[in-house]
Amino acid sequence: MTLYRLSHLICLLLGSAALGAAATTTPFEQANQHFKTGEFAAAARAYEQLLTTEGPRAAVFYNLGNSYQRLGQFGPAILAYERARLLSPRDPDLSVNLALARKAAAAFEEPGAHPRLDGLLNHLSCNEWSWLVAAAALALGGLTLVCGAVPLPRRWLRTSARVAAAMAGITIVTGAAALYLRRGEHTRGIVLSAAATVRLSPFDSAEALGTPGPGRSVRLGAHTGAFRYVEVPATHLRGWMADADVAAIIPSLILNPKEGKGNRLGWRFLP
Amino acid sequence: MVTRIPGCNTFLRRATCAAAFLMLALCPGARGAEVQAQLDRDSVPAGNGALLTLRISGGRAGQPDIPPVENLIVQPRGQSQQMQVINGQTTVSVTYNYVVGSNTPGVYQIPAVEIMVDGKKFSTQPLKLKVLDAGAANPPAGTPPSPPGSPPAGGADADAAEHRFGQLTVELVLKDRNYLFVGEIAPVCIRAWIPADARAQLRSGIQPEGQAFTLHHVSDQPQQTQERKDGKRYLVVTWFGGISATKAGKYPASLSVNATVAVRDTSAATPRRRMGGPFDDPFFDRMLDDMNTPMIQKDVTLKSDDEQIEVRPLPSAGRPAEFTGAVGNFKFDTWELPATWTTGEPQQIFARLSGSGNFALMNAPQPGPAAAWKTYPGQSEFTPGDNASFAGSKSFQFSAVPRKGGPQQVALTFSFFDPATAAYKTLTSPPRNIEVAGEDLVDAQPNTTTTAKEPDKPQDDLAGQHPALTPPGTLVPLVSRPAFVRLLAAAAALCGLGQLLAWLRRRRGDPQRRARAAMECATRQARQTAAQCAAARDVAGFFAAARRAIQHRLGALWNQPAQAITLAEIQARLPAASPVARFFHEAYHQEYSRQTIGDIEPHWQALLDEALASLTEPAPRP
Repeated sequence: MTLYRLSHLICLLLGSAALGAAATTTPFEQANQHFKTGEFAAAARAYEQLLTTEGPRAAVFYNLGNSYQRLGQFGPAILAYERARLLSPRDPDLSVNLALARKAAAAFEEPGAHPRLDGLLNHLSCNEWSWLVAAAALALGGLTLVCGAVPLPRRWLRTSARVAAAMAGITIVTGAAALYLRRGEHTRGIVLSAAATVRLSPFDSAEALGTPGPGRSVRLGAHTGAFRYVEVPATHLRGWMADADVAAIIPSLILNPKEGKGNRLGWRFLP
Repeated sequence: MVTRIPGCNTFLRRATCAAAFLMLALCPGARGAEVQAQLDRDSVPAGNGALLTLRISGGRAGQPDIPPVENLIVQPRGQSQQMQVINGQTTVSVTYNYVVGSNTPGVYQIPAVEIMVDGKKFSTQPLKLKVLDAGAANPPAGTPPSPPGSPPAGGADADAAEHRFGQLTVELVLKDRNYLFVGEIAPVCIRAWIPADARAQLRSGIQPEGQAFTLHHVSDQPQQTQERKDGKRYLVVTWFGGISATKAGKYPASLSVNATVAVRDTSAATPRRRMGGPFDDPFFDRMLDDMNTPMIQKDVTLKSDDEQIEVRPLPSAGRPAEFTGAVGNFKFDTWELPATWTTGEPQQIFARLSGSGNFALMNAPQPGPAAAWKTYPGQSEFTPGDNASFAGSKSFQFSAVPRKGGPQQVALTFSFFDPATAAYKTLTSPPRNIEVAGEDLVDAQPNTTTTAKEPDKPQDDLAGQHPALTPPGTLVPLVSRPAFVRLLAAAAALCGLGQLLAWLRRRRGDPQRRARAAMECATRQARQTAAQCAAARDVAGFFAAARRAIQHRLGALWNQPAQAITLAEIQARLPAASPVARFFHEAYHQEYSRQTIGDIEPHWQALLDEALASLTEPAPRP
């Protein structure tokens, strides 16, 4: 009889635990649920909230981009995809959706002069390249320390150490070159709205020079009041655009460009 | 036949020289100095100029300096000198010419010009010039043209002034149409028209000035021809290239090229006065006037007239689903794919398309049926087929994943917009039979039922949501964070520490250093033994230990075993007066004296100290 009661109690506990688990869904799952049910605006809000509370995550940016794309807001969608690509550069789904967003927004990117080199450079994110350089430098330092402190008794050990040091050196040089070639990324921004207008001067009443269109990549420059200087690559369109109409892909660097100092690779330090 | 009279030539030469000297000597004092300023007219239209003549006679004067007047343009037009002999009186005068004018209508006063003539200050009378509104003005006959460099006033004169140094024209080279489509690279012919009598040097390539168009593949080596237009001869420099636009509308094809152009300054030309002679004929007027007209050189930007080019949008009607923006005319060259596949496993597909058009907007063809495949972006390579890169071929290599198993017939499809027919076209490659192993891939279905509204139909085949939350990251790359510098500094510190340790290890293992340490140790021990023997009054022991100490030092210095160093060798290699030789001599003397017990004399100890001290100095080389 006691065993019977005990088994009932265990079943009851397990059942309530399962029900509890089913009932508690994370905010991410809730946002995904909104997306599945077609509530794209609610999904986008939930993803934005999630980014605010939990920090940047590739999956959240990606799903946010999908939500904006379903809403037809291609500028924010491309911005979210670009930010997701900083965190997850080799995600094939991300590349496909970004291309679709660019196609839908007619914000075609001019291919670079060396597509293979670009492909190699973009295979890793800038963060990964910089970690690679730092890790290689530390490995080289550690190797130097070990070799300096302890005489390597075997010949194969000495040869291995030399090979490892050479590989670390090559990695440092390659990574530094990649970071140097991608130094322009900290000034990249995305035009958010279709009405975003490039003006001659940083005033609302200044002469309009053109509208680059949503999702277009621009180079961001100086900041004056509520306006930011932008240059549209591959065109001669340059001027001032309202802050609300353009967003930097790497936000914290661009928002405070004058407070940080640059390094030799051309990247600006976070203040 | 000419008969020469001896002495006549010499006489005439001397007489001429004397007359010239007399004339020049008399010139300054012949009459009083005089300065005059004169305008050839009182009023000019805006943008045109009047001739200001400054005449200085009766003395030597420096270059006059016209005081500046706001909005009044004064440009020198050279100087001339005349010598007149009237009734035996000689007058030399210098005339300075200026063109004065303004682009702003109004009454201008040219202030008095002060000139120093032979040390005396002279000044001209002030002059007034009325500049009329260019539209209202009706310039009298013989009005000199606008001064160079001044902006034209408007109308035909303005156009003439604007095109004086040349102009640029842009022409679409398209059959049966004068518009282009968004994304299309349309061939254009760009021509720079430079007056035939001008000298020009181009300082840049063709540059677009507006934002609407992008130039492509402009020829590096332009063609040069001579052409006649509107009755004038021009040197025409022709480029061929492509122009494309990303937005629909009508936009000016504003192109420019920077050049340095030298043209004849017709405003400074003075009609030739015929003085008789073989060239006194109107036939030579133009040629000789041109020769006498100075050239002016200017850096100019030749611009195209803002001719509007219409850019039409791509039609939305009939746009295939797989259209990705390619504009032109293309065809399949070849394509390859493996014959056996497995569902869910990616393999490479290769395809090459050729044709002409905007290859930059061309994406890879897609395998069909679309529902049975999922593709990923791959690599592409463009191979130009002509110098201008209008035609060529583009190869694509991309990964594809089959979603359905079983035998299939696969074909690649590619859609593009043909601007010549203004219609979309879809190419389908010849089908291939493949075998796909594995089960059909089924998309995950939502496991919850909901009463919410049905989702809108997706606009495109978006890849699905990511269901799992990835770990948090940072958008700011490490290279932009101070931690990057700290890590590099740590790595540099490790390198430095390793190098330091390696140096210490090398130093510790140095055989010379080790030998020196052993020598110091042996010497120290020998000296201690000598001291003990001295205390024990053991003369033989003292000398034996002291000799050993010296031998250790000498062995280290001479790089040979300490035991092998004998008195004979010391005598051979060191001077007899050296402390070492003297101590060794004393030691042998005591050894042969057979005195084993006794007091150690102080001078022995002193000699030992002196010998050892001499060996701690730089090596006493033999």
